[in-house]
Formats: sequence, structure tokens, C-alpha cells
Amino acid sequence: MEQSGTSALLQGAVQDIASDVVSALRGGDHVRMSGTGAMDDVEGSLTLAAVRVLGADLLLPHVLFPTPPAPEALAVFRRTVEAFPPRPDAAPTVKWSHWAMSRTLRRLDTSLAGTPAGDQPPEQDAGWLDEATWQVLTHQLAVLAPLAVPGADCAVARAAQRRPVDVARGFVRAVRRRDWQQAAGAGRWLTLIDGVPETLGLETGLDFVELMGGNDPRVALQVQAARVVRAAGALV
Amino acid sequence: MTDTRLMHTVGVRALEWLWAHRDGFRLEPDVDPEVGFLERFKPVGELALICRVLFREGVAGSRQAELARKLLDHTWRHTLDGGRMLARGQCIEPLSPIPFEVYLPYKELGYSEPEVERATVLYHRLDSWAALELDPTRRLGLSAFQRRFGFTPRTPETDIVGSTWLARTPEPWTVSGHIAYDVTHTVFHLTDWGEHPDALPPDIADYLAMWLPVWIDDWLDLERWDLLGELLVVDACLPRPTLDERAWEGFAAAQQPDGAMPAVRTLPEGEPDEVFDVVYHPTLVAAFASVLATSRALTELTHVTS
Repeated sequence: MEQSGTSALLQGAVQDIASDVVSALRGGDHVRMSGTGAMDDVEGSLTLAAVRVLGADLLLPHVLFPTPPAPEALAVFRRTVEAFPPRPDAAPTVKWSHWAMSRTLRRLDTSLAGTPAGDQPPEQDAGWLDEATWQVLTHQLAVLAPLAVPGADCAVARAAQRRPVDVARGFVRAVRRRDWQQAAGAGRWLTLIDGVPETLGLETGLDFVELMGGNDPRVALQVQAARVVRAAGALV
Repeated sequence: MTDTRLMHTVGVRALEWLWAHRDGFRLEPDVDPEVGFLERFKPVGELALICRVLFREGVAGSRQAELARKLLDHTWRHTLDGGRMLARGQCIEPLSPIPFEVYLPYKELGYSEPEVERATVLYHRLDSWAALELDPTRRLGLSAFQRRFGFTPRTPETDIVGSTWLARTPEPWTVSGHIAYDVTHTVFHLTDWGEHPDALPPDIADYLAMWLPVWIDDWLDLERWDLLGELLVVDACLPRPTLDERAWEGFAAAQQPDGAMPAVRTLPEGEPDEVFDVVYHPTLVAAFASVLATSRALTELTHVTS
């Protein structure tokens, strides 16, 4: 299928930013936002859209490591949160993705302390996950992988925690289907939750996903996030 | 849980197709012995095995049981020439386990050919027969058949299980079609083709309860009906079968009006014998899955009401 020009541009921008995040996760460095130096109108809106696609993971290195984000990255992130408020009838994943960004912003943007924007955003309902089949559950959780962060409780994380076997099954399904992005996102959740079946082989599974799909920076991002989450879990 | 009638009907229709196409069960007596006279025995042996399961489970209707009996009589008398073709196979290739493997289910159903038995008894004494380099699942099956024949297997089944892929409970996301067929046959042999679900070692039963639903989901969506049918048999061999509704509905919908089950996606076109060679196996598997799943569903109903 041929991609439209805008879609291809957006995909490229998402990949570039994801690569920056992967570098930061590997090196414990800032997210450099290398491709977003010139923020004129066209490129600026493209960057915002790309950040919206990547979601809260843009600043993941600064959530996982005690380094403050670079001011320009934080500024783009804040503008994205403001530019894309979810509509009331938006899908739950869209609302939750925005919620995750708001939470991250509140956590990292010290200038918001004491302002209304600094308040914890109200949690959305996650009941749709309890009703979902294991296939749908895993797909939705993979879309919401930015919420899979150690020590960050929310209704989605609790829903994942209640169904470790189903998420593990979804991981197997995603690998079998060569949907590396879904597999990596599910794998990231699995490093965070208890009760994952031993026979899954999660650690080698994540390495396999990286081997097969790691050329895509969005896959590499999830795998690297999972490794950091695992290491953080080992310290607890 | 799936409607029992749906599962049962799949088997009824499969038997109708097998009976209508019974001439497809054919040997090639004139084939060059070096080419492989034994190649065409496999469908006949599989038919006998599955008909035996059908009689054993006792859930077939009268028409289905009658067709199964007629198919067995037809293949024994015509295809195997009253067992003499099996003896001939043993003459051509004495060390091949195939004639014995085909013979055993017929013997268990009351058919007999003394010459085949004499040869089998002799081969069982040969170190060479015990030393044949078979893959672990095939070796497991051969030892199980030797036990059922009345021999003490030279390699006990308990010594072989650990070498199979399944017994090592490996990463479930590595399963491919070939591995999946090994898994299904390991389960068939360990449970005597579904007769003893409790004979599955608990760690294997737990492993399958955990991952089989994923494999069933996957091969259903890939429309690989032959493998899906075998996986549905495995489900019916578990201590707690799921009798998955979505899978059974997809499987039943893939079956043709005349009862033929495609191997992959849809039926091929071609000469009748060629089509038979592609279709007989998934159709036999459909009959097998149907009878076991129906039996398990009825057992569960009995437990609920008692």
C-alpha cells in the first residue's frame, strides 16, 4: 500500500524522534530532539504531531533516570499536550495516551507546580480492558506502552496486572504474527507485572523481537524501555 | 463452550466424504520397490486409527458407525487385500515400521493376518529395529504401538518423552507449523490418541493449557485447517478442554457441503486422486477432532448433571 506524502513524512519524523529516545535510553543522556531545531510552522506542526504519536515516551529517559529534560524537548512536549486535547468521544487509548503525557509533564515540568496544569489529571476509566479478549487487551496495552513505567500506578496498569497470562498470550501472538511493535510493547508491560508464566521465555523473547524488528526505532524504544524497567525492577 | 451438535456434525459429514471417496485409499502395487511401495500405506493406517477412536468413544450415531465399519472393511479387504499387502510391504522393506503401524489398529478392531504378526515378532527381536534412527516423537509412537501390540518396548516410552520438543516446554513463540505437528503427535502418543487424558504429565498439560489457545487462535486466522484440526484434537486430549467456540465455528465453516475439509484455506482443483491426497488427511483429522470433542463435551454434561 502506498503511503500518502504527509503520512510518510509523519512516519519519518516519529522514527527520528524515537531514535533520539533510544539513544538517550542507552546512554542515559538527554533526548536531543535532533531533527527539530528549526520550528517554523510546517515543521513545527509536524514535530508536534510526531510527538503526539510517540506520546509520553518522548521524555521516558527523564522518567527512568534522574536527569532533567532539555528545555527545548520539554517545551515541545508541553506544546503537544496543549495542542491535542482529546475530544470527549475519543477512543479510550487516545484519552489515556493524553493522560500519560499530562502526568509526565506534571512530573517533569517544575514550572507547573502550584498551577492548575500542575494538578494530577483525573484518571479515565479502564473498564474496557477488563471486558476485552486477550487479543484485544494486548493490542490496547501495546498502544498504551508509555504507561508501563515502574512505580507509576494507574487503572490501565492495574488492569494489566490482573491479567498476566493474557498479556503473555498476546505477546506470543504478536511474535507469531511478526508484529514486532505490538510484541515489544506487550513485552514492556510483562517486565512490569507479576505472575508472568515462566515458560514464556520473556528475556530471550525481547531479544528476539529486537533482533527481528529492532531496525524500527519504535520497536527498539520499547525493547530498551523494557530492559531499563527490568533493571529498575531488579533493584526494588 | 461450543454447541455439541456443531462439533458432532463436522465428523458426520467428514465420514460421508471419506466413504464417498473410499477409492482414494489405494496402494500402488506396481510401483518400483525402490521408489517406495510403503508410501501409500499412511492414509490407510490413519483411517484405521481414527475409526478405532470413533468406536472407542461410543458417541457416533448409527450412520457414522456404519460408515466407519464399512470403510474399515473396504480398506482391509480391497486396499490391503485382507492384510496380504502389509505382509508384502514387510517383505519389500523388512525394517520399516510402517506395515506394523498400519496393522495395529486393524488388529485391535478384530482383523488379523498371521503372516504380518510372525514377521513383527521377529523384527521386534532385532537390535536393528530397536536401533532405527527415528525422531523422538516417532519413536515414542512406535514404542506405544509395541506396548499396545503386547510387546515390551525395547525403549520404554518414559525414556523417550524427555527428548521431545514438547516435554522441554520451550518458548511458545517459537512454534512453527512443523513444531506444532510434533507437539500434536507427542500428545496423541502420550494419551493413546485421546483415550487417557490423565496420562499427560502435569507440566505438559499445564504448558498446553497455557499456550494452546494462542496456537489455535493463530492457525485459525491463517486458515490452516489441517493443523487447526490437530490442535483441536490436542485440546480435547487435555484434562480440561476448552472446546473453543470461535475455533470450532471457523473449522466447521471451512468444511465443504460434501464433508471435505480443505488442508489450507480452500479446496484445490485437480484430478480426483490428487485432490484426495491433499484432502483426505484434514478430513480424517476433522472426524477425529469431532469425535473426541463431542465425547468430552458429553462427559462434561454428564458430570454437571450427576
